[in-house]
Amino acid sequence: MNGIHDMGGMHGLGEIGYRRDDPAFHAAWEVRVHALVTALAAYGRWRALRPEIEAIPAAEYLRMSYYERWLAALTESIAKSGLAARAEIERGAASAGAQRSVPALTADTARTAALAAPRTELAIRVDPRFRVGQRVRGANLNTPTHTRMPRYTRGKVGVVERSRGVFALPDTDVYFGDPRPQHVYMVRFAARELWGDGASAHDAVYIDMWQDYLEPA
Amino acid sequence: MADARDREHAAAPSDPALRVQALESLLVEKGLVDRAAIDVLVDLYENKVGPRNGAQVVARAWIDPEFKRRLLADGTAAIAELGFSGQQGEKLTVVESTPSVHNVIVCTLCSCYPWPLLGLPPIWYKSSAYRARTVADPRGVLRELGLEVGNDVEVRVWDSNAASRYLVLPERPLGTETLGEAELAALVTRDAMLGVARVTLPRGDRS
Repeated sequence: MNGIHDMGGMHGLGEIGYRRDDPAFHAAWEVRVHALVTALAAYGRWRALRPEIEAIPAAEYLRMSYYERWLAALTESIAKSGLAARAEIERGAASAGAQRSVPALTADTARTAALAAPRTELAIRVDPRFRVGQRVRGANLNTPTHTRMPRYTRGKVGVVERSRGVFALPDTDVYFGDPRPQHVYMVRFAARELWGDGASAHDAVYIDMWQDYLEPA
Repeated sequence: MADARDREHAAAPSDPALRVQALESLLVEKGLVDRAAIDVLVDLYENKVGPRNGAQVVARAWIDPEFKRRLLADGTAAIAELGFSGQQGEKLTVVESTPSVHNVIVCTLCSCYPWPLLGLPPIWYKSSAYRARTVADPRGVLRELGLEVGNDVEVRVWDSNAASRYLVLPERPLGTETLGEAELAALVTRDAMLGVARVTLPRGDRS
């Protein structure tokens, strides 16, 4: 979607606020949100929190801190998937007579689950549409829902550097739709192609793109 | 004093700490979450997984050319040799900075980051401004963060959006020929592995 989260190339978004020894967490609750996300993902009720994060209205998105967005998306995913009812979430307590589950992760399995190498690459053969060295153009897609194609690549010409293997298309797969297995390609875009003559002639942006995001150039 | 950064990263319409506490209690009550499991995960993300992992990978690559070859060809497999894997680590890709190429990592759409090697991202990496500006004006961003890159050097920005997560193999500083693997690893910072800093010798040790 053409959402506020798709920020590549935007101006006017404030300061980076770089600090050399910046911590990963700003407050103690943030790491607990992170842990809850891992623990609940184990139920497999959602593929990713990203669609819910992207659905946060732009003004709110910009006002919220990073882990507030995670908390909002997690809460929404819990409610939508039926793991807990909205009324229960608002009260912070289970409804009378609600069924008790068995935790997906225990102290013994949590570490292994977090440190296991995930596998989303698909071990199936699909013919690649593009070859290494081929010129490709970002398709003019304005998908209103989740996609991993940043808008700054639309209509821009790049070169396929290598194939990254076969993966499900997140645009559909994230909603448990048709996975549309296809190759993902590492594409090199010259900085001047993306940003005009003001950019350095030497520089480039590399990005992995699903085949459906590309057309021959 | 509240600067723009504090507004972005800390301001909250209501207290999120209380909401998290309430949510966690509910999930425990419903048997969806085991509090001991959460404590294990918190400890893992807070204390166990961090940039020391990535630094070991870099140091090994500096002293072992055969490992470096494997690392650049298939990051995930080579990194698994050192025992590192995990969420956000399915397809780890290591990109080498040299005197003629400088690499820098960003995620414009969210905050993709090589957790198994660097832990969780610092606050500035997730800022709107870093996500927005790095792809379009990497040299300006790097200069602001204290790193000047020569005009004859190619800057490669890696926008990590798909399955791959990226790590920069920074240049080994001059004057480190006699150092062992552990001493080299101690020099390697998180920011150098993101490409927003160089690896340098501590002040006083420069030859």
